Amino acid sequence: MSIRLTFWGVRGSIPVPGPTTVKYGGNTSCLELRFGKEDRLIIMDFGSGIRELATVIMKKDLPRGPIKTSVFLTHTHSDHIMGFPFFTPLFLPTTELDIYGPVSFEDDTLDKIVGDQLRYRYFPIRLEELRAKINYFPLKEGSLDLGGGLTVTTKYLNHPILVLGYRFEFDGKVLCTAYDHEMFQNVFEAKPDQPGYNEAAVKEGEIAAREQNEKVQQFYKDADILVHDTQYTHKEYLAGKKGWGHSTFGSAIKSAHKAGVKHLVLFHHDPLRTDQQLEGLYKAYMSLIRGRTRMKVSIAQEGKTIEV
Amino acid sequence: MQDKQQILAVIQTYIAKMPSLPITVSKILQIANDPKTSPSDLNFMISLDPVLMGRVMKLINSAYYSLNTQITSLVRAIIMLGINTVKNLALSTAVLGQLSTKGNFQALNIDGFWRHSLCVGVTAKLIAIKRKKDPKQLEEYFVAGLLHDIGKIPLNNKLSAEYVTALSLTDKERGPLYILEERTMEVNHCEVGRLIIKNWNLGPVMEDIVFFHHFLDSYPGDNRDILLTVAAANFFANTYQIGFSGDRYPEKLPQSLYEELGITLDDLEAMEEKANSEIEKAKVFLSVSQ
Repeated sequence: MSIRLTFWGVRGSIPVPGPTTVKYGGNTSCLELRFGKEDRLIIMDFGSGIRELATVIMKKDLPRGPIKTSVFLTHTHSDHIMGFPFFTPLFLPTTELDIYGPVSFEDDTLDKIVGDQLRYRYFPIRLEELRAKINYFPLKEGSLDLGGGLTVTTKYLNHPILVLGYRFEFDGKVLCTAYDHEMFQNVFEAKPDQPGYNEAAVKEGEIAAREQNEKVQQFYKDADILVHDTQYTHKEYLAGKKGWGHSTFGSAIKSAHKAGVKHLVLFHHDPLRTDQQLEGLYKAYMSLIRGRTRMKVSIAQEGKTIEV
Repeated sequence: MQDKQQILAVIQTYIAKMPSLPITVSKILQIANDPKTSPSDLNFMISLDPVLMGRVMKLINSAYYSLNTQITSLVRAIIMLGINTVKNLALSTAVLGQLSTKGNFQALNIDGFWRHSLCVGVTAKLIAIKRKKDPKQLEEYFVAGLLHDIGKIPLNNKLSAEYVTALSLTDKERGPLYILEERTMEVNHCEVGRLIIKNWNLGPVMEDIVFFHHFLDSYPGDNRDILLTVAAANFFANTYQIGFSGDRYPEKLPQSLYEELGITLDDLEAMEEKANSEIEKAKVFLSVSQ
């Protein structure tokens, strides 16, 4: 095993516990990545799923020594950081946490945006009371050597806030994330008789969107595992979800196939999607692509592990 | 009178929080607060404010720092950054503008400065079209024209008394403004403009246009074509008095410039109507509908 991925939160937007989501899970984004024989831990996102993962880490990792790990945040929308105060290792003086996330171009920095959740108005414990040592690293597009043969490359995706996709490479294996992400669109597309029609903008926009989509595809090219946003069906997308920053099943499958991805994991399930619907959609798409791709496709499920 | 270093320090502080032009603030707030803003309106609005345009370009070029080439296309920036991110940036720039409207533009008249900047942008683009430049480059000509005088904003706002003096000297001595800026403030708008472009990380082309648009003879770089185009557009805007940026007596451009560009004064004159109609169109757009 080179890379082991376990899902602790697979849902988009808001936690949705209940009988209709019990199989695939109702917690928001949180991934546990383990690398190599040393079982090196990297966490992706502080969604509500982090609480369960924290329990596992306290049981499994803490007895082996102080918890020193890195967390990569895709972005700072609430469903991706809401679990931060419930990550129990924060309260141990021996914990060292490196938190990476997209640079903020607003007045507030990454540490303030994430750490501000620990204020009396939101939570009974203040950030200053935490015992753990936390370092923040704002990221742009680029590559980082994380040591021990592990590298990570980042790519801006398309969402109503700056979001980073991550490409982890270790021991010849590649794991990528592309969420939250909507295929880049030519938002300037218009018909000549529409008000404000600008031919140059329409053409430029078309090229820009195409180039960006090609770059995203290039980013997860030949990945062994790709965890991709598939919040909507095509029908839902067209019925008012354009510009919300999420992909459709069809566009993700098509793009991942073109990029030569080996295993695509459908992720960031819509909060309204029931287990039954999810399985129904999965079956429908599998029958559509059967015999047309060698790519494996699966549904992200809480507690489920994938190894490469 | 402060020394040059003190002046530059004051200007540097101002640049970090440079506001939108008061003339565009209301429209920016209207558009950026509208959940159904059309990308075309957002695009048009940004193209009418040199400060906002500069800030969007700064964001796209600093966020995507692995880009091989500098991005100067607003359309591309909006697609890559997303409408929300751009709206957010517009809002924060406009809010700064709201806070500083009082006492702004004491020497130079804001409407005149805005018309001048837009006229130079539009005319630079028209010249480029006339010269059959690559359509992909047209926006760069526009942005260069729009931003060429950006250095006047901090001088006008932070050294208003000195700027009034410099402006009155241009009338008295019938001389170009940049020379009288140097005499009264030890710096000229080209130097200050370059500080802004560096701060915004807009790349060598914009830096050259802003710094050298009054120093064509000493220009050593590779962006001569766009520099001469902006210089011609600037001379046209000043001579035809479309807007006013304080340069009532600009230095005449050498005949060789027109020859090098392959255009004539008649060509420029023929652009007057189009430039004026573009400005009026912008003016109508900026008048906030209730």
